[in-house]
Amino acid sequence: MTALTRNNVSVTGTGEVALVFIHGFGCDQRMWRLVAPAFEDRYRVVLLDLVGAGGSEVGAYDPARYAALQAHADDVLAVVRALALPRVVLVGHSVSAMIAVLAAIAAPAGIVERLVLVAPSPRYLNDAGYVGGFERVDIEELLEAMDANYLGWSGAMAPVIMGHPEQPALAQELTDSFCRTDPAIARHFARVTFLGDNRGDLPRLHTPTLILQSAHDVIAPLPVGQYLHRQLPGSELVVLDTSGHCPHLSAPAPTIAAIDHFLGAAPRP
Amino acid sequence: MTPPDDASLPALDLRLTEENLDDLYEHAPCGYCTCLPDGTLVKLNQTLLGWLGYRRDELVARRCLQQLLTVGGRLHYETHCAPLLLLQGQVREMSYLLRRRDGSTLPVLLSAALVREPDGTPLAVRVSLFDITERRKYEQELLRAKVQAEEQREQLARANEQLRAKNEQLTRINADLDSFVYTASHDLKQPINNMVGLFEELRRSVTFHDAEAGPMMSMFEDALAQILATIDGLTQVVQLQRAMEQVPAEPVALLPFTEDIIRSLQPAPAGTRFELDFAAAPVLRIARPGLHSLLYNLLSNALKYAAPDRPPRVRVSTARTAHATVLSVQDNGRGIDLTRHHRELFQLFRRFHPEVAGTGMGLYLVNRLARQAGGRVEVDSAVDAGTTFRIFLPQEEAGDSTPDARPLAAPPGPLSEKERGSQATR
Repeated sequence: MTALTRNNVSVTGTGEVALVFIHGFGCDQRMWRLVAPAFEDRYRVVLLDLVGAGGSEVGAYDPARYAALQAHADDVLAVVRALALPRVVLVGHSVSAMIAVLAAIAAPAGIVERLVLVAPSPRYLNDAGYVGGFERVDIEELLEAMDANYLGWSGAMAPVIMGHPEQPALAQELTDSFCRTDPAIARHFARVTFLGDNRGDLPRLHTPTLILQSAHDVIAPLPVGQYLHRQLPGSELVVLDTSGHCPHLSAPAPTIAAIDHFLGAAPRP
Repeated sequence: MTPPDDASLPALDLRLTEENLDDLYEHAPCGYCTCLPDGTLVKLNQTLLGWLGYRRDELVARRCLQQLLTVGGRLHYETHCAPLLLLQGQVREMSYLLRRRDGSTLPVLLSAALVREPDGTPLAVRVSLFDITERRKYEQELLRAKVQAEEQREQLARANEQLRAKNEQLTRINADLDSFVYTASHDLKQPINNMVGLFEELRRSVTFHDAEAGPMMSMFEDALAQILATIDGLTQVVQLQRAMEQVPAEPVALLPFTEDIIRSLQPAPAGTRFELDFAAAPVLRIARPGLHSLLYNLLSNALKYAAPDRPPRVRVSTARTAHATVLSVQDNGRGIDLTRHHRELFQLFRRFHPEVAGTGMGLYLVNRLARQAGGRVEVDSAVDAGTTFRIFLPQEEAGDSTPDARPLAAPPGPLSEKERGSQATR
């Protein structure tokens, strides 16, 4: 098992700098479908599935190892190493915005040049003096909603996860099952995502960062984006006039434009 | 049943075929609503409003679909449904709880389709909702049963772990019992052999006048034979066990160990003196039963083959050479003619003092135990002056057990040989 098969890595495009797109909770690399191709003419475009999601090697999901986001960050760096990428921009959505932050902190100096955080939140739960947007009971409700939607999953979905994408019938099923994953893994990842707290990691980040904030996002609301902007000196905050937690799906063109502007403004060494 | 023919159609109530579409939308047996792509509600049917307990004007353009769900459902919608709608154009059979105006919840299945403008821009989302109150209860039963099954599986795993620990403990106790039986049978054998000899002697030299005496003598003899057979049996069982699992080497403090053995020997002749000197190597790392057998044989031999004309002097000591620890047992007994017997000294059943009772097992066993410990035996002897046995055991690494020292368990060879050997004869 290599990092490339483990994380179902796909590479397109050409360029000196690689954009590594990391999907968020609940989905896989197909989330970037409306955004990533726009960069293929100037950048190497690297897409991956977090272990446990999409076409990753689900068997590699060891709950003990993935009990912290750092494990996913280490996976991302393993992919960067495996592809021998010399210059990297990490683009992370939702929980993977924090995975990208952790990866940038842990990466060897000079490799990760920039970060693009799409709908990021360093902590989803409210805390003393901090509004994350959610209480613990809300997260329990989410887990219940996930359970309710996974009834009958195991029997129907197991063969797909075992991996027979070459069979058309199963491929169709795979399309239908888009953004579904093993319920036990999904539950675990939901807990790691929504109960985690990465505020303490922010001062350790010294990489130029763009925060892409959806104007109306219940999961990562504007005050959270502003909090991040304050905590990351020198970061850029761009509020996209869109609704929901996935601006790269609901407003792909403005998302592309904002990333382009941010990267274009980068001093080329 | 006959299929309906054309003639029967006019008999149908034609009002059914003139179904009012507005009425169908408003009062369909399921909830309908239409939203903007961001979820803002633009149209709801009466069925859905009735379920929720809201007036139309409280919701249209004021609330979005996600806000009709519980917070957990909303999280799920934003992370699962919303991206699916935008990427695939539809979602089906999503299970959510609607939050009514009065705070209570209603379980529903949600299916939705995205309507696009001709240029592909998302225009609206059409949503249908089905009340699944009864089905949800059943599903929750299933989920509860699943959780219960998982808990039971964990309990089972814990119980298994406890069983494993218990099993380990029992195995340990079993080994301890083995050791006990081994030592007990070993140490009992010598006195019982003495009893056999004494009894023989008694029968020859004493005359009984009681008529009952004869049968009683036979019964006593039988009892003795039975004890011997039992001990043999016990020993064989234990040694079979031992042959399968090696006894680990452990540190043995020689002074108390040797003193114990001396106490277990048959009463020494008057004036016997033991001299113990383990200053050079007070502790040996060795398998205890092997060392016991080895020392027991050498010490009992020293007494058994004492010179008849002088009290036995037995010196047990240790010394260190460059590569070995040497355990010596020196006596002032009859001695062995090594020029004659040198080659057969350690052979099974060889005896060099036929005037003294024995079976020819002792030295065979001593040699074998020493070799299994990775060592060897050297003998110095002078007839009518005494014998010195030196057991060379490999020097162990500092604080570490030498692999060579480990196999000093009971020998895996023919078991009865060794047991008889513990009668300490030569």
